[in-house]
Amino acid sequence: MNLTINAEMLKVGKRWMPYILFVLLVAGVAVVVWLFGYVAYKEDQNFQEGQKALRTFAYPWTITALLDNGQFWGTIIFVAIFTSSTMATEYSWGTVRQAIVRGQSRAAYLATKLLGTTIICAAALLGALGVGLLFSAWASAAAGQPITLDVADGPSVPELGLMVLRAGFTIIPYGLLAFCLAVVGRSTALGVGGTFVYMLGEGIVVAILKGLGGTWSDLRDLMIGHNAASLLAVNRIGNLEYNTLAARELPRADELPDVWIATLVLLLYCALFIAISFAVFQRRDIRG
Amino acid sequence: MHNSEVPVLKTSRLSKRFGKRLALAEVDLEIRPSRVYGFLGPNGAGKTTAISLILGLLSPTGGHVELFGLDTRNHLSECLRRTGAVLEGVSFYPHLSGRDNLRVCAAISGGGCESRIGEVLELVGLTARARDKERGYSLGMRQRLAVAAALLHDPELLVLDEPTNGLDPAGMRDFRELVRRLAGAGKTVFISSHLLNEVEQMCDDVGIIKEGHVIAEGPVAEMVHQADVMEMTVTNADAALEVLSQIDWVGLVTRDGSDRLSVEAPRARAAELSRALAENQVYLSELRPRETTLEDFFLEVTSPEDKR
Repeated sequence: MNLTINAEMLKVGKRWMPYILFVLLVAGVAVVVWLFGYVAYKEDQNFQEGQKALRTFAYPWTITALLDNGQFWGTIIFVAIFTSSTMATEYSWGTVRQAIVRGQSRAAYLATKLLGTTIICAAALLGALGVGLLFSAWASAAAGQPITLDVADGPSVPELGLMVLRAGFTIIPYGLLAFCLAVVGRSTALGVGGTFVYMLGEGIVVAILKGLGGTWSDLRDLMIGHNAASLLAVNRIGNLEYNTLAARELPRADELPDVWIATLVLLLYCALFIAISFAVFQRRDIRG
Repeated sequence: MHNSEVPVLKTSRLSKRFGKRLALAEVDLEIRPSRVYGFLGPNGAGKTTAISLILGLLSPTGGHVELFGLDTRNHLSECLRRTGAVLEGVSFYPHLSGRDNLRVCAAISGGGCESRIGEVLELVGLTARARDKERGYSLGMRQRLAVAAALLHDPELLVLDEPTNGLDPAGMRDFRELVRRLAGAGKTVFISSHLLNEVEQMCDDVGIIKEGHVIAEGPVAEMVHQADVMEMTVTNADAALEVLSQIDWVGLVTRDGSDRLSVEAPRARAAELSRALAENQVYLSELRPRETTLEDFFLEVTSPEDKR
C-alpha cells in the first residue's frame, strides 16, 4: 500500500492542477481575511457589521470563520475539482487499464486512489488554513487586536484540534460525492459539476424547506449540508456572527439536528458514496 | 517456474456480448509454455476484446480464462502479477517522464522491480529519452515504453495487443528479435497483430479470429505449408495441357501466360510429371512448388466468400 500511495503522490505531485487549486484556495483565504475582515472592519469599526468583520480576522473567532468558509469553498475549489480530476483522468489517459493489468485489484486501486486523494486534500486544506491563520495574525496586529484564545467561550488548544476535525469531517461526504460521480460518470465535468450543483442547490432547497415549515422543514435533516451545519455550529465561539462567503446560513445550533445524529447521517452518506463507487467500478468493463 | 504440461493461457468457451452484438463467441484457446502465439484477425474481429477478457478488463458473458492453470475468476491479481501486457492505445501519464511512468508501474506491480527500470529502458532503446515527458513521445516511443513496462516485472507470460503499431522498420526488426529472445528465455508470448509478415516470422502458433469466432488455429509451419500446386514454364503450353489432362493424379491445370501453367499435383510426383512431359517433347524451363504465405492463408480463411 505504501508503494502505491507513493506512486499516487508522484503522479499528482508532478501535475500543475493541485498547485493552481492551492493558489486559488489561498486567494480565497485572503479575500475572507483581508476583504471581508480587515477592510470591512476598518470601514465600519463600531457598528454590528464592523464587529462581524472583526470576528472574521481576529483571534479566536477567525478560526471558526476560516473553518466555516474553508468547509464550503475549500470543498468547491479544491476537493471537488481535485478529486474528480484525479479519478476521471485515469480513464481518459487509459491508466486505469495499466493498473488493472498489472495485478492491482480493482478494490485496491480505488482504495489507493481514495486514500491518496484524501491525504492531498487534507494537506492542501490544512495548508490553506495555516496561511489563513497567518493572515489573521497579520491583520490582527495591523488592527491592534490581541492574538489570543482567551475570550468568553474561547476554545482551548485541544479544542482547536476538534474544531479542525469537525470541519474536515463535514467535507468528506462532498468529496466522496465528487469521487462517486467521477467514478460512475468517468468524467471530471460530472464530478465537479454535480458536486457544485448539489452544494449550491442544497443551500437553496434547505432555505425553501425552512420557509415551508412543518414536515417539510424536517426534510432538511436528510440533507448533507444541514447535518454538516450541525457540526460546524459546535465550532462557533459564543454564538457570535462573522462574515462568511459560504452560500448558506450561518449554522445555528438550535435549528440543527443533534451533533451525533448529524455525524451518523454524514457517515451514512459516506458509506453510500463509497459503496456505489466500489460496486460500479468492480463490475465495470474497462475499455480503451 | 510454470509446469510445462499445463497451458500458460487457456480460454474455455469464452464469450462476450456488448448489447445485442456478439463480440466473442465461445472461444477456446490454449497456449503452451515458451511458445509465441500469434492472434490474427481483421479489424473488429474480436482480438482486443479477447485480450481484454484475458487481462480482466472486461467480464465475460460466458466461459472463463485460466492463466498458469489458475482460474482468473478467483485468482486474477495473482495471475496478472505474472503477466506483462501491452495494451492497444496509450495508457501512460502524459505529465510524467518515461522513467517516472515506469516507477509508477513498478509500484503497482508490488515493488521489487524498480531496479530493472534502467535495464528495460535500455532494452527498448529509450534510455536517452527516459527523462522526457511522455506527452512528447512519438507513437513508436510510446509503444517502446509500453513494451518496457510490460517487461519490467520479468513476467512469465506476455500479452501484446498490436505491439508493433507505430514502430519503424528497424524498431519492428528489434521487436521481432526481442520476442524470439524472450521465447528462447522461456517466456510465453501471446501477440495480436494484423501484420501477417511479422507474425509469420515471430510466431510458433497462430489463431485466426473472424467475427468473434476462431476459424483456424495451429502451428505457423502447418499454415505456411508447401501447397500441392506446382508452377511451371514449358516450351509448348498447348501440348503440355494435352499431356497433363491424360494423367489421372493431376488435378486442375490453369494457364497463367503463354507458357506458364499452374498444376494441382502432389509435390512428391514432380519428377514423374517432368518425365511425362519430356516423353511428349514438352520440356520444362522452370518447375517449382507454389508457396503459401500466412497472408495467403489468412485471406483465404477470412475472405467474405469463405473460399475454404
